[in-house]
Amino acid sequence: MSEPEDQMLTDDEDDFDCAYYDGDDIDIREDFDDEKCNSDAEQAKIESLDTFQVERLLNESVASLIEVSRITPSLAKILLLSYNWDVKKIHEMLNKDTEGTLLKSGVKPMSTAKRPANNTCLVCYHEDEELRALCCGHGFCVHCWKAYFETRLSEGVSSKISCMASNCMLVAPPEFVLRALDKASLRAKYERFLYRDYVMSHPELRFCVGKDCLMVVRSKETKPKKATCTKCKTSFCVICGVDYHAPTSCDTIKKWLIKCADDSETANYISAHTKDCPQCHACIEKNGGCNHMQCAKCKHHFCWMCFGDWKSHGSEYYVCSRYKENPSVAAEANHVKARRALEKYLHYFERYENHNKSLKMEEELREKIKRKIDAKVNEHEGTWIDWQYLHTAATLLARCRYTLQYTYPFAYYLEKGPRKDLFEYQQGLLEKEVEELAWAVERAGTSDRGALEAHMHRAEHKRITLLQDFFFSPSEYDAPSSSKFR
Amino acid sequence: MSISRRLQKELADIQGSGAKPYSSVEYNESNLLHWTVLLHPDKEPYSKGAFRVQIDFPADYPFKPPKLTFLTKIYHPNIDEQGQICLGIVHPDNWKPATRTEQVLMALLQLINDPEPDHPLRAELAEEFQKDRKKFLKNAEEFTKKHSEKRTD
Repeated sequence: MSEPEDQMLTDDEDDFDCAYYDGDDIDIREDFDDEKCNSDAEQAKIESLDTFQVERLLNESVASLIEVSRITPSLAKILLLSYNWDVKKIHEMLNKDTEGTLLKSGVKPMSTAKRPANNTCLVCYHEDEELRALCCGHGFCVHCWKAYFETRLSEGVSSKISCMASNCMLVAPPEFVLRALDKASLRAKYERFLYRDYVMSHPELRFCVGKDCLMVVRSKETKPKKATCTKCKTSFCVICGVDYHAPTSCDTIKKWLIKCADDSETANYISAHTKDCPQCHACIEKNGGCNHMQCAKCKHHFCWMCFGDWKSHGSEYYVCSRYKENPSVAAEANHVKARRALEKYLHYFERYENHNKSLKMEEELREKIKRKIDAKVNEHEGTWIDWQYLHTAATLLARCRYTLQYTYPFAYYLEKGPRKDLFEYQQGLLEKEVEELAWAVERAGTSDRGALEAHMHRAEHKRITLLQDFFFSPSEYDAPSSSKFR
Repeated sequence: MSISRRLQKELADIQGSGAKPYSSVEYNESNLLHWTVLLHPDKEPYSKGAFRVQIDFPADYPFKPPKLTFLTKIYHPNIDEQGQICLGIVHPDNWKPATRTEQVLMALLQLINDPEPDHPLRAELAEEFQKDRKKFLKNAEEFTKKHSEKRTD
């Protein structure tokens, strides 16, 4: 590359990766040194592992456990599974109470049984069968073991299949199960499920959420930072696996997503067409012309217009057509409360959803900008380096808007108070900067580059400040206590 | 194949001699997958009557648990108005193929005799059972007299 790239460089020499969604490897250079580290700070420290590497990692744990406790590898795996691969903890438990630990995790049988008379299988009651037993001695015929394992497998159970005898909690080790399963496809299925259980029980491992991606992400991160699979480039929250959601916590985003899935379809309709029973607050849709309503749930009679009790309503019928300066607050309180809750939710949801839509549209814009730059370069109007700032701006816009989108679930669950006021103040600032930046990016190329870069700087600055105050800095408010939230 | 042999063996055991807290096992000779049994609980207030329970065995029994349903109405915290029962031993996660129907029935009788108000299917009855035992016993007894079948023991 020739010299023109120097134009892009500012005095700061540090790179930071701006690729927010698709992992485009465009290093852009920005002039805010202190913020660089924060943008990196959003990225979880991860290692992407393929199946082979995961097996190797797990086997290391098995080996280190065998070294201290002298049990067979397959029993070690059962122990590791039930103690979430915490070799140190298992070692401690074994030292404290070997017998109890082995019993509890299904490695050692509670009691042992003698061979049944006439070699009768106590599941199918056929005599003279070839019986097989785990180390507990409960013998059952080969056909029953096979049918049992197949049934459990079809229920998705693999690593925790126990002996068939009532009250025997001894876990069947993989080699026993594999020996009983005769179809290669079932053996493969069993091993696949086993692998899934191993990964899911391991606190540092998480399957990549990318479609058909077999990679496993390893991380010791405790904060809900962003993980990006090195293979399929999918990004997700390293803790809970849904889309990255800073500044919102995992608990909160989960509640929010459930709420959205439950409510968004119907919330609008409910808001427009229904009212709540003043007595039991059941949601009521008016199905006739008469204002005399009876709640189907609590049988309360009331007036659709004024929510007054119908009994007292009859004598002064058209009182409800008159506007009352002081409406009976008590009677309306609950109705109003329920409506307000819905209004509050819709307020946050609409903004959350709107940013989501804008993000999608700006993704198209980013593609358009890419094509525009290509065209300009082809016509010898400068080099790619000259125009790269446009693409950088669009990428930065997406990043800021993405964070902005996820400020809304956060704000929805934030309790009233000075902290919420501060949050909403900062959210407002970010909102304003993102709007201005979006405007500038849409007109990019024709407008002043300096002005655009100023917008970029301000937007990213507001974003980082907000994340720093509400996501990175640990505070007592961030404790994921569900009781706190309404 | 093995299912009918197993069920026949279980039927024989259940109908076998000896005093048992259940009686009159009914089933269809051509289809052993559905039985009804008359339970005789031995503790107040349910000892005033007998309760008919339907047992449905799935086609892949004994690898999947049987399903038990009360046909007789009963006033009990762990049995709902539809006759559904929450019984640990036949829960799919706990089920063991070697568990026999006899054991299941004994576990069910145990639950009838000693309700588990901590895992109720009918919360209002569980509350009454815990807070006002006298009232619960009175209600349950009246209900038993009105709805249960005659004991055959």
